[in-house]
Amino acid sequence: MNPSNPPQTAEYGGDEVSAIVLDPGYSTTRAGFAGEDAPKSLIPSYYGKYNADGQEKLVFGDDVFVTPRPGLSIHNPIGKDGIVEDWDMAEKVWEYSFTSRLTGAKPGNPFHNGLNDIPSEELPTEMEVESEEKPLADSPLLMTEPGWNPAKAREKTIEIAMEKWGTPAFYLARNGVLAAFASGKASALVIDIGASNISITPVHDGMILKRGVQHSPLGGDYISSQIRALFKKNSPQPITITPHYLISSKTAVEAGQEPQAKYKTFPADKAPDASYRALLEERTLSEFKECVVQVWPGPNKLSAAGPNGVPNEESARSSPGRPFEFPDGYNQMFGVDRFRVVESLFDAKAAIPDPESIFPAPTPAQTLPELIKASLGGVDVDIRPHLLGNVVVTGASSLLYGFTDRLSQELMAQFPGPRVRVSAPGNTAERRFGSWIGGSILASLGTFHQMWISKKEYDEHGANIVEKRCK
Amino acid sequence: MAAAADVRDMLDLPAEGQPRPHKKQKVVEKRPEGITRELYALLGERAPPIAINENKYKGRPKWMNKLRVRPWRMSPFTNGARSDGLVLNHWQRKHESTRPPAPEGTEMDVDEKKEKEEGKEDEAPKPLEQEYNFAKYNIKARVPRSYSDEEYTRHLQNNDWTREETDYLMDLTHEYDLRWVIIADRYDYQPRVPGTEAETEGDSNALVPAKHYRTMEQMKSRYYFVAATMLAIEHPPSEMSEGEFDLHEKMLKFDPDRERDRKELAALQLNRTADEVREEAMLLEELKRITSNEQNFVTERRELYSRLEVPISVGNTTIYQSSQGLSQLLQTLLQADKSKKRRSILGPEGAVASPAGQTPTQASQVTRGDTPGTNAAAANKKGGAAAAAVASAREIQQPIRTLTPAEESRYGVQHHERVSAGVQFRSDRAQKLTQAKSNVQTLKLAGALAELEIPVRLFMPTERVCKEFERLIQSVNLLLDARKVAEKVESEIRVLEASKAEREKKSAPTDASGNPEVKTEAEEGTGVLESTAADADADAKENPADGDGEEAAKEGEGNHKRSASVLSGASDKSSKRQRR
Repeated sequence: MNPSNPPQTAEYGGDEVSAIVLDPGYSTTRAGFAGEDAPKSLIPSYYGKYNADGQEKLVFGDDVFVTPRPGLSIHNPIGKDGIVEDWDMAEKVWEYSFTSRLTGAKPGNPFHNGLNDIPSEELPTEMEVESEEKPLADSPLLMTEPGWNPAKAREKTIEIAMEKWGTPAFYLARNGVLAAFASGKASALVIDIGASNISITPVHDGMILKRGVQHSPLGGDYISSQIRALFKKNSPQPITITPHYLISSKTAVEAGQEPQAKYKTFPADKAPDASYRALLEERTLSEFKECVVQVWPGPNKLSAAGPNGVPNEESARSSPGRPFEFPDGYNQMFGVDRFRVVESLFDAKAAIPDPESIFPAPTPAQTLPELIKASLGGVDVDIRPHLLGNVVVTGASSLLYGFTDRLSQELMAQFPGPRVRVSAPGNTAERRFGSWIGGSILASLGTFHQMWISKKEYDEHGANIVEKRCK
Repeated sequence: MAAAADVRDMLDLPAEGQPRPHKKQKVVEKRPEGITRELYALLGERAPPIAINENKYKGRPKWMNKLRVRPWRMSPFTNGARSDGLVLNHWQRKHESTRPPAPEGTEMDVDEKKEKEEGKEDEAPKPLEQEYNFAKYNIKARVPRSYSDEEYTRHLQNNDWTREETDYLMDLTHEYDLRWVIIADRYDYQPRVPGTEAETEGDSNALVPAKHYRTMEQMKSRYYFVAATMLAIEHPPSEMSEGEFDLHEKMLKFDPDRERDRKELAALQLNRTADEVREEAMLLEELKRITSNEQNFVTERRELYSRLEVPISVGNTTIYQSSQGLSQLLQTLLQADKSKKRRSILGPEGAVASPAGQTPTQASQVTRGDTPGTNAAAANKKGGAAAAAVASAREIQQPIRTLTPAEESRYGVQHHERVSAGVQFRSDRAQKLTQAKSNVQTLKLAGALAELEIPVRLFMPTERVCKEFERLIQSVNLLLDARKVAEKVESEIRVLEASKAEREKKSAPTDASGNPEVKTEAEEGTGVLESTAADADADAKENPADGDGEEAAKEGEGNHKRSASVLSGASDKSSKRQRR
């Protein structure tokens, strides 16, 4: 066949082999069948751990938010930089993500489920073999990873998939590439604004350019820390976030007044761990981000003057504020401050200082414009204009109001010559699950099935094959 | 009771005329589905057109229901593009083992297909042998065949590149299908650890642990060199096909330095500031404006040129110079005109006038600009000239026959410097000459003409008479002018004389104060004489004082016969002076 002849339209196409796409992130883990348009299973990557009756018990999925069990502590198997740290727990969380909604719990051994209690001497021996059913025995698995995933982590991933889950075929794809596929591009500059990281991934012909991959920790959690810093310095009185589980009842109060609420108290031995409260506070903060926080749309930085000489801060101040009510009933109007909490993503100097925060003050090199500049500096000059014409924005934190406007303004100010085009899907699901959707497309393509690493190949070459095949 | 027939009778209507018009049938509109009867009744008779969309599941078309359901099943397959025989499962249409009891009509159509399916049916138990649809997309870029050790040592040695690194590069190009952007990105050659046996570069590499950074240009240059050499080894350049030769040439001509320079320029272009970009945009705009202006200019000039360019005809016109030839031409033209069925050149009556009568009018129509002097009569009389004029009208380009002055006078051919528009009489022009600018002058002219017994209106204003008249008027004007000048001089002399006399009177008080009136009159008389005579007699000036008025007048009469007019002119003058 001649590669210069394009295939007929009917020749393109999907061929679904009931593959499972698993897209683990720092905040949530997405899983679903390839060929569908949204992941069926969306669970938090956090898990809970507590002691009951002297036994350590684990809580997965949305259940972690529900019950403040005594001593419940929240953990995340993935490190702040998006690389798995706790492999045992990561395996359990991921397994939960697809067994809970997709594959279903496999029937246990019929001899142990209590229905077939028969005397042990009559036990037929040949049935023993079937009892070792693995959760993914008949679904190929496509997993995603960040562009800076080290080789060790990749090998560990295929090991788990092959040996623990027994998948017949496996593939490990970069989430930047998949996000580009999700918006129909084989070459793109993918800007992923996640919970723990923001990353820039240049993609060329479906492969990442490793030297251009940049990431920095100014993600959604960093914005949360900025919001906390803002609350501490709030002018009438500092705002404390009390999560819903600590409120038993509340009454409405005027804006800026002391909250009138009855609080639940837990005795010290029954109280959950502080990490549980932090997790639930984070939920309130993400609500705050959705409702209030706004990115200064530009042009220029918030601290600079606008095109007509009026300082941008002034014009931001003149725009009407947005109210927000906290779980305890306290409510307040947020004016220009709602722009300040995210400004440091673009302008390191605008960060709200907070010595208690776990995030150090951002450096200029960590801001988005600098990351993009560094990323483009790492790729060949010939493809830079093309990448700038295909900027793909993905990740849930990019849904901040006004984010894409500001991003395109910054890019156009930085690169006035080439045409800059930012493509950000307006559909929130497509933005949040960009890399999962790309994986869903990829794993359901007929042409992709030659790329899987099969069990046989894995057995032959070992875990190192992932380096050779998933380039 | 008066029946309808009686009424008809009374009104004189034909019995049982047309049948009565049918009573308008009440149109019962069908109640559309999806709207209740009660609601529909409320709408009244003339319901507005409402499109009722029923979002109902349509299902399959009816004819499809007769077809058999073709089941799908999960079936395993292998991919020909894989080497490991991985078996995956996908949904596929199941092939039936028995011929379905299809209806007769469709039997024929599907027959062939069914048979084909039956043919496949035999293979169905082992579907793995079927070619996988997407396997054909597994293609690889063409890379040069690998070199042997001997070939390497003989042809491919390079100081900068070791054999190992070249191997690494070739593997990489193969692995990434010559996508240079990715190759340059992933290029990460680790030189061999010096601990193991090394051939050439053991120590030097150990001393330089810093990674040797290769640019894309270096890689490309090395690869192209290797590929071109391998191609040349395989087929010597004389035996290469055209495509191969092209490729070989291109690969040999790769210049890494130039490529690097180009990339530097591209980087500069990419990193321009906003001001530079704006300036460039402005310049481009300016350039666009300039080029569009130039385009406009060029098109305008071309238009002008095309307007100036007269089609040059090179036909021979001698045959049209005789009247016979002309009439022939006219006939052919008329023929063509008739066949064309357009507005006839003969006018609405369409009658064929005599060629002699017809042609000159046409000629004069066309050639009015050229020779307005040749009027119709002249053209008629002078056959040759008319022929020439007509010919020149017919075919604009014709050598003009030059006439000798004798011929010109004979034919009455004239040449005018400037011709004013419209028709005018020759005598008008002569008449105009007698009208001077001022009324006084006109009167003087009229006087002079009367004296010469020449009527103001010429009786016979032939060309020559007019010319003569013109000359006469001119000379009269000249004389009048001269007289005016003389008078002026006279008066000056008189003033001076007077002042001289005054002085003498002072010196000699005895001198007779005399009669200045008489004196002046005498002077005047002579002055007039002098001027009219236009002979500028020296004595007239010298002895005006002594000269008698009458004497002078007599003299003037003797010389010319103009004294009367002159006198009248003089009297005129004097009266004028008195008035003054």
